[in-house]
Amino acid sequence: MIDYYIRLKRKVMPLWRDPWVWKMAWRDARHNRSRLFLLVASLITGIAAVVAIGSLNHSLQQALDQNAKELLGADIVINSNKPLPAEVTSRLDTMKVPTAADAEMASMVMFMNTKQSRLVKLTALRGDFPFYGQMVTLPPNAYSQVRNGRYAILDETLATQFEVSSDDSLKIGNKIFKVAGVVTKMPGGGGLTSTLAPSVYISLSELDSTGLVQFGSRISYSLFVKTADEKQTEKVVEKIKPMTKKFRYSYETVERRKEGLGRSFRSVYQFFTLLAFVALVLGCIGVASSVHIYAREKREDVAVLRCVGSTGWQAFNIYFIQVFFLGLFGSVAGAGLGAAIQKIIPVIFKNFIPVELPFSISWTSVLEGLLLGAIVSVLFTVLPLAAVRFVPPLTVLRTESKQVPRRSRLKLTVITLIVLFPVLAATWQTNSLTKGLVFSLGLAAALGLLALVAWALLRLVRRFFPAHAGFIFRHALSNLYRPNNQTQVLMVTIGLGGFIIATMNTVQHSLLGQVEFRGNTNQSNTILFDIQPSQKDGVISLMKDYKLPLNQTVPIVTCRIRELKGRSVEAMMSDTTNRIPDWALGREYRVTYRDSLHVSESMLKGEMQHFLKGSRDSVWVTISEGMQETLRVDVGDSLVFDIQGIPLRTRISGIRKVDWPKDPPNFIFVFPSGVLEQAPQIWVTATRVGEGGAASRFQQELVMKFPNVSLVDLRLILSTVESLFAKISVVVRFLALFSIITGLVVLAGAVVNSKFLRIKENVLLRTLGARTRQITQITLIEYAYLGLFAALTGILLSIGASWTLCRFFFEIDLSVAWVALVIVGGAVMIMTMVIGWYNSREVISTPPLQVLRKEG
Amino acid sequence: MAEIVLNVEDLTKEYASGDRTLTVLDHVTFEIQAGSRLSIIGPSGSGKTTLLGLCAGLDVPSSGTVTLMGFKLNAMNEDDRAYLRNQYTGFVFQNFQLLPTLTAIENVMVPLELRGEKNVQTRARELLGRVGLGDRLHHFPSQLSGGEQQRVAIARAFITAPRILFADEPTGNLDEENAGQVVELLLDLNQQEKTTLVLVTHNLELAKRTDRILRMKGGRVVEEMLMPVS
Repeated sequence: MIDYYIRLKRKVMPLWRDPWVWKMAWRDARHNRSRLFLLVASLITGIAAVVAIGSLNHSLQQALDQNAKELLGADIVINSNKPLPAEVTSRLDTMKVPTAADAEMASMVMFMNTKQSRLVKLTALRGDFPFYGQMVTLPPNAYSQVRNGRYAILDETLATQFEVSSDDSLKIGNKIFKVAGVVTKMPGGGGLTSTLAPSVYISLSELDSTGLVQFGSRISYSLFVKTADEKQTEKVVEKIKPMTKKFRYSYETVERRKEGLGRSFRSVYQFFTLLAFVALVLGCIGVASSVHIYAREKREDVAVLRCVGSTGWQAFNIYFIQVFFLGLFGSVAGAGLGAAIQKIIPVIFKNFIPVELPFSISWTSVLEGLLLGAIVSVLFTVLPLAAVRFVPPLTVLRTESKQVPRRSRLKLTVITLIVLFPVLAATWQTNSLTKGLVFSLGLAAALGLLALVAWALLRLVRRFFPAHAGFIFRHALSNLYRPNNQTQVLMVTIGLGGFIIATMNTVQHSLLGQVEFRGNTNQSNTILFDIQPSQKDGVISLMKDYKLPLNQTVPIVTCRIRELKGRSVEAMMSDTTNRIPDWALGREYRVTYRDSLHVSESMLKGEMQHFLKGSRDSVWVTISEGMQETLRVDVGDSLVFDIQGIPLRTRISGIRKVDWPKDPPNFIFVFPSGVLEQAPQIWVTATRVGEGGAASRFQQELVMKFPNVSLVDLRLILSTVESLFAKISVVVRFLALFSIITGLVVLAGAVVNSKFLRIKENVLLRTLGARTRQITQITLIEYAYLGLFAALTGILLSIGASWTLCRFFFEIDLSVAWVALVIVGGAVMIMTMVIGWYNSREVISTPPLQVLRKEG
Repeated sequence: MAEIVLNVEDLTKEYASGDRTLTVLDHVTFEIQAGSRLSIIGPSGSGKTTLLGLCAGLDVPSSGTVTLMGFKLNAMNEDDRAYLRNQYTGFVFQNFQLLPTLTAIENVMVPLELRGEKNVQTRARELLGRVGLGDRLHHFPSQLSGGEQQRVAIARAFITAPRILFADEPTGNLDEENAGQVVELLLDLNQQEKTTLVLVTHNLELAKRTDRILRMKGGRVVEEMLMPVS
């Protein structure tokens, strides 16, 4: 025979010019649409989260743009902690621009109907503020009443809390104000602001009569200016800008407020975007994992196609077309769901946002979602499908024939892109490469650790397998180890949602634990401040009358820093290379004087007092650890304080570690005694007030006798912080829910993927005599185990993450909310059981004969 | 002299099994002329299926050569071999190997569609009619009995009018009655289409109906029998 060799002329057709692969993709898909849909269903929630948060940002930006002037209430606001000097106001008068003013301070008010009192933000208004937007009151004329007499209006929340009606009155300082109504909407106010500091509004002309404005009172003054147009705004700014440093005031324009708010919301928005992105990444894992199983199942079909002449690429393209188009469908569905969620977003986020959010769909976000979906559909399906190209046709003869793992350029490219995807997408979402990198690394670490914990947990259970447990429990547990069960992937995907919620609960509990008074009978829970020296003995005597412990009585002197290490603060603030923040240099400090450490303090470095004999720099002060780092000073460095206009040269003698929440008040700077005694000062006392009538009577008498003295109930702060957390946690839980739902969709997909295997197992069990009840029990217990293990994985890691956050970010002790964690774990377990069981109903009810026939 | 459609020369296939090398096919040489029928028989593990797989280019040998329709399979990559199979060969397997998501007619059409041919439905219908499944065109494999599935597989194998048909235990999964029907069908079509047949079987009676029998044992051809012309 002649040995000859002929080269084949084979046409290579690209995907779009090969009608056969499209036909095959359609034929293969139509047979099992619901199952294919589950392959990409996990993408829907991820895309929905991204689109919803993107649209929220768009709506917020739109609302901020539309309501920018309302947020400020004026075109320019000048803020100062002293009444504005005539030099400034006269300049404004010459420009003939309409102005309004307010003065804000913390003050006690007594609700005369119940005789209860509370510290509020007292706002005294003059003029036609707000110039833009409207202060909405109930009744509508309430604000005009306030302008013309001794009337007060108060935040709706405050009125509800103290059951204030229109016939009631408030005692503010020395005077009684009749309640004219409640404020339901204030430009730029509401939301979190109102939770932190509920306001009472009076007329500025009535403020002096209250007797609250005394030496040491902390009052913020604002002057609101209305201009005719932007040109005039610029002119006003030109006039007031040169005097800002001299008179220590600041000003804000609409643009600056918008930028500031934009910045604040950007940070919050970026955090929420990243939470939404977690759901998307989980969806990607779900898609990749399901497609991996799908590709494995298609091995025999691919081998047949290879046998009859299909190329590896053609086989690959059939399944790629399916998952790509289903991915696109999933993206469209996700984008639709995300847009629909816009309806409830304003409700969930209302406490965060100072403006009313319109319902609007951001088409940019929808397009972004679709694009992300398309990218995910390609990236996360190509890798598991790549194996299809190399299925040996010999599989038709020997199903066990091994597929040699091959390196291909496609695989390498896709792996590189998959690694880059979260970095690029997170960078895109946050507009910051650093944030994108940090987030991606963090997420990779979290997923890696979750996978590690899941793996270790599964190994441990296998190692200590409960050999003596009942058959049903043993069998359900061993089902988790069935081939291709994706147990570890499921533990990670379901666990991640649980991890986010558990971490939030634990951090919240730890933070609240800091504010809480842990039953320590000596610790103060009430602070009385703004006590004038002449009132000090009277207040102490009143406390003694009520048998209240006098835990601290400390003088407070207000001062500023004039020089730091020989350089003037002004020079430092105008030096662009200076690394000390302006706020730390320019702020007002409230210092005290004593010669010993307080219970909340310990010396880190140096000593409490240090008198240098014969030196004129003989005033040695101590500084708290945090501020020492901020001001970049050390023991021996010099500081010149401006004590009410008098310079005082000092040196740092030591650095104190301060446990701030412990037995307040605590101080940044502590002077030695013998220096500030003659300086103008106020006093603060700290005590522990019990519950019930005596406490209430003490407050009443205090407000009556010393109306300018403010009382801070730290328990109220605790409840305020709690309610603040409640508002934040609604949003975080809402977004974490996306992750949990994605995890559960991945679970549903995995259950359906392994359906046939499960049916075969059940048929075998039935043949051996198992009843439907037993099979149902096995199924339920299997998912209970899976839910439990997933929850444990998330919770174990959440404790580690919470500890890290508490230790290094919040610098507090970890306090684990065990009850909350048990609830999170239980909820995850129950949801897993329900989803697992729901998708297994067919498995449980399939008659054995049907399966045997299919097998045949 | 008739055309040689398949030439196997000194074919060896070895697998690594732990530290050992397992020789499943040991220096096998033979050739087949166009239109002839060859059966390969032998006990389980004798290397029959391995030989069939190598002849059809489903696997690559450790040494030796396979020349199919004049093309040396050793020199080709997997996709070229697939193309060659599509152009010249047909397959019938023991476990039918129909695509479960395709109907009977769609399964039959696949090889022609892969060639890019148009109007393939008529030919598929006609073939399915010839195998007695004219009324089951749109049934999925799970809706057909084993015998019917194998008849669909035979129709698929013949739709390209292959020059050579590889059949691996085509009756292995069928009862006696169905097996008889399938054999008759296979041989009839083989005769009508003048296809070369390479048949792996345990069934000596079936093997006797071919022109030549190769008996294998331990990876070697231990006996070659020529059957009298019927």
